[in-house]
Amino acid sequence: MNTIDDFITLLRDEMGMPVSAGDAALSLDQVAGWDSVHVLSLLSVLERRTGRSLPLADVLEAGSLEDIYRLAVAA
Amino acid sequence: MDTPDILVRAVGTALPGPAIDNATLTQRFGMPVAWEQWIDTFVGTRTRHFAVDLDTGEVRHSLTGLGETASRRALDRAGLAPADIDLMVLATSSPDMLMPATVNLIADRLGINGIATYQLQSGCAGAVQALDITSHLLRSGRHRNALVIGGDTCAKHFDVTVDAASLPPAEQVNGMLFGDGVGAAVLGVGPAPDTAVLRHAFVQFVGLGRAPGQIIEWSGRADRHNDRPPVVEDYKAIEESVPVLAAEALRQVLDDLDWKDTELDYLLPPQLSGRMTARIVEALDVPQAHEISCVTEIGNTGNALPFFQLERALPRMGTGDRAVGVAIESSKWIKAGFALEMV
Repeated sequence: MNTIDDFITLLRDEMGMPVSAGDAALSLDQVAGWDSVHVLSLLSVLERRTGRSLPLADVLEAGSLEDIYRLAVAA
Repeated sequence: MDTPDILVRAVGTALPGPAIDNATLTQRFGMPVAWEQWIDTFVGTRTRHFAVDLDTGEVRHSLTGLGETASRRALDRAGLAPADIDLMVLATSSPDMLMPATVNLIADRLGINGIATYQLQSGCAGAVQALDITSHLLRSGRHRNALVIGGDTCAKHFDVTVDAASLPPAEQVNGMLFGDGVGAAVLGVGPAPDTAVLRHAFVQFVGLGRAPGQIIEWSGRADRHNDRPPVVEDYKAIEESVPVLAAEALRQVLDDLDWKDTELDYLLPPQLSGRMTARIVEALDVPQAHEISCVTEIGNTGNALPFFQLERALPRMGTGDRAVGVAIESSKWIKAGFALEMV
């Protein structure tokens, strides 16, 4: 996963979320259907894709999908 | 006509195997650490028990066996022998077999014969349904000592070989929420001092035109290989509706008995998960009542839950103390409530 677009594609393909690149900067409470169960699903998807385990607390502090992307790819 | 008091003489419970904590569940199914953190944050349930051995998948306990254990404990505490029982009612969503009904297998294990037995197909309202029906049967004068049992095991749904990460998240959540267990109560006919009296029980279907909040499928030889998920929970509908229905049920019990909020000493709230129960208790707004909950330790054991709550409540209740229990079944939306008073 190299770019934010890859991340958006991941959300669409693996989680069935109806998101586009324009949703990346939106506040999470504006992303359609975003809820705690999506967070759960995302944690598993990202761990499989990046091989790294993100701490839940960090993900919960994320304000947007873009914030989560940055967490996932952080060195 | 003088209707006798219906007494809750004693309660006994049974849990299979060791308490399984969230870390164990997470590691056993190869899930990331954040999964455990998610359970702690969003579910709030800390441990639960399973009839299935997590490592081998072997089914170590049956509903029948757990029911026998819980029943013997309740009978011992009531100072009665199985031969004293003349009525048995079991409530469950997960019978060991469809036929014979598990209530009759438990009777067999207890060495009981020649009595009336009934079984309810039920979810979270089942324990109250069983208490309600039993109280009416006792009041009819046809019976004197009843064994009322409620319990569930998810053994038939729990495939320990599954790749949990590949399951839809909603199914993963099911695995975190539920636990196995059985509770039993000995009910009798009064009067008797220093015994809890079942003052009231009610059950009300309010699911007309409402989509089910919970579906559990069963299958036979012909449709065993269908693709339908075995358990479906509509968590959003549950989060929206259960607190509202719980408040209505509490209000209904208090109004039916003409009890004031301030006269309530113990509250036995719906036991969905640590987080949901906390939210419901806040919404019920009876802060002076002591909350009696068990879901964070044993998980959601469906039909067994009110018995576990009663087991904790009864030893704490002093003369004159009043308790109200509420159970909301989200399958097709059933409100249920009951009230006890220690005399």
